[in-house]
Amino acid sequence: MAIVVTVTSGKGGVGKTTSSAAIAAGLAQAGHRTVVIDFDVGLRNLDLVMGVERRVVFDFVSVISGEASLNQALIQDKRLERLSILAASQTKDKDALTEDGVGQVIEQLSDMGFEYIVCDSPAGIERGATMALYFADHAVIVTNPEVSSVRDSDRILGILQSKSKHAEEGGRVNEHLLITRYDPVRVDQGEMLSKEDVCDILAVKLIGVIPESKAVLKASNTGFPVILDAESDAGMAYSDAVARFLGEDRPLRFVTPKKQGLLSRILGGGD
Amino acid sequence: MMPAPQIRLTRYSVMTLEWPKDSEPLEHWLRGQREIAPSLMQEIAIILRPSVDHKSEDIRHAVDTLGRLGVGLIGLTGDSCHRATATTLGLAWLSSNTSSVESDVGPSQIPADSAREAALVIEGPVRSGVQIYAKDRDLVVIGQVSEGAEIMADGHVHVYGRLRGRVAAGVGGQTGAEIFCVMFEPELVSIGGTYCGDEQIPSNLWSARVRVRLDTNAQTLTFTSMG
Ligand SMILES: Nc1ncnc2c1ncn2[C@@H]1O[C@H](COP(=O)(O)OP(=O)(O)O)[C@@H](O)[C@H]1O
Ligand SMILES: [Mg+2]
Repeated sequence: MAIVVTVTSGKGGVGKTTSSAAIAAGLAQAGHRTVVIDFDVGLRNLDLVMGVERRVVFDFVSVISGEASLNQALIQDKRLERLSILAASQTKDKDALTEDGVGQVIEQLSDMGFEYIVCDSPAGIERGATMALYFADHAVIVTNPEVSSVRDSDRILGILQSKSKHAEEGGRVNEHLLITRYDPVRVDQGEMLSKEDVCDILAVKLIGVIPESKAVLKASNTGFPVILDAESDAGMAYSDAVARFLGEDRPLRFVTPKKQGLLSRILGGGD
Repeated sequence: MMPAPQIRLTRYSVMTLEWPKDSEPLEHWLRGQREIAPSLMQEIAIILRPSVDHKSEDIRHAVDTLGRLGVGLIGLTGDSCHRATATTLGLAWLSSNTSSVESDVGPSQIPADSAREAALVIEGPVRSGVQIYAKDRDLVVIGQVSEGAEIMADGHVHVYGRLRGRVAAGVGGQTGAEIFCVMFEPELVSIGGTYCGDEQIPSNLWSARVRVRLDTNAQTLTFTSMG
């Protein structure tokens, strides 16, 4: 059976889609057959971040409604042979995501030999989000280092451990904390919560801290997962996070302010 | 054999809403209470005690308000001049005598061991938005209680972890209920219906190992360190 990894947060705009794309690409890079599904019916973002928006003909909802087969809807990534994408539809209504429908798609993907199914959850706690987490074996909780985001993450963790299939059957979903858009300078100045604060409030195992980085915007504008930008800080941080998810022990990077050289201090800027 | 209906003498815990004349308008006060403790008012049977000076019309109005706010009003008590009003409004009448006797022996006692179920034991974290209510028994939480979570019991509440949410012991009016916590940082504390917010907690006991009891004479909560 494939392992279902849901990327969720409660709050919008914290980096779920960026992280879903990075994690899925990272798992594929590590040799695992992976599919990433966009649950954000109506918004449809993942295909842009993955750079496949022109190749979307059928989507997740058309598979559930029986309009298309899974084979027709799956988009094979051109850079990573083990990675496929199942896009969300821009138009169809959110009620199209039924528990049976989603369950069947996950089962078929398993039968096709996928090892990991990464679910990119929409914001909020409504249908799309609860469907994305219902079948989760693992949940990656994406949190920004600020109070409202942490609070929403806490709430989604409560839903995860009460409304998911595992919870209903008396089990638990494995929780992993991923802190994104972390700016060590602002943390030092007390404008953002530190990673210690966030871990302390949520009491979930930390799998990564992704720095606030210009590489992320550049990557999504050009349509490739930032993890493939192996030179960038965010790319390296995501690689570390995926390695830790797979059980490797790696020290955290990019969590303290960079030491500025004399020259860049004089000239200003210098990131 | 067919089971026969039976009438038994049973003692229930109910809350009495004391409503003095010229108090803050009930609706306003209740909305305020609900804000600080959204679930405390739910599933709780309440008896309204108006003052002697309230007119029948005032009471009718108050009963409407309580109904609209979803408070489970079961009857009136107080001066016997309101008895007729209770009947017209289709509410039970509880004579003051019985209710004062009851409150001395009944609700203030936590039932003896034989009558009680084992404690409800919950493995935390109890997350924001989650509510836990241990009915007719104690509650033990192992792990943290997040801000925005609510834990309640008719009996005692024990928290072996950081308590940042709302906590209520003796929810059914058991004034002898207590709260024990190893890391005390709550948003709101209540015992037997007496509340207080975090600003009333002595600052030296913040984050400490704390025991909370209700001082029934002063109707205030007392906080002590467990060392
Ligand atoms: N580490 C980061 N550094 C800088 N910008 C980021 C980072 N992570 C996400 N962003 C930006 O934040 C915005 C929201 O990200 P997205 O992944 O779409 O969030 P969500 O799916 O949670 O709504 C996007 O514009 C994205 O480029
Ligand atoms: Mg998104």
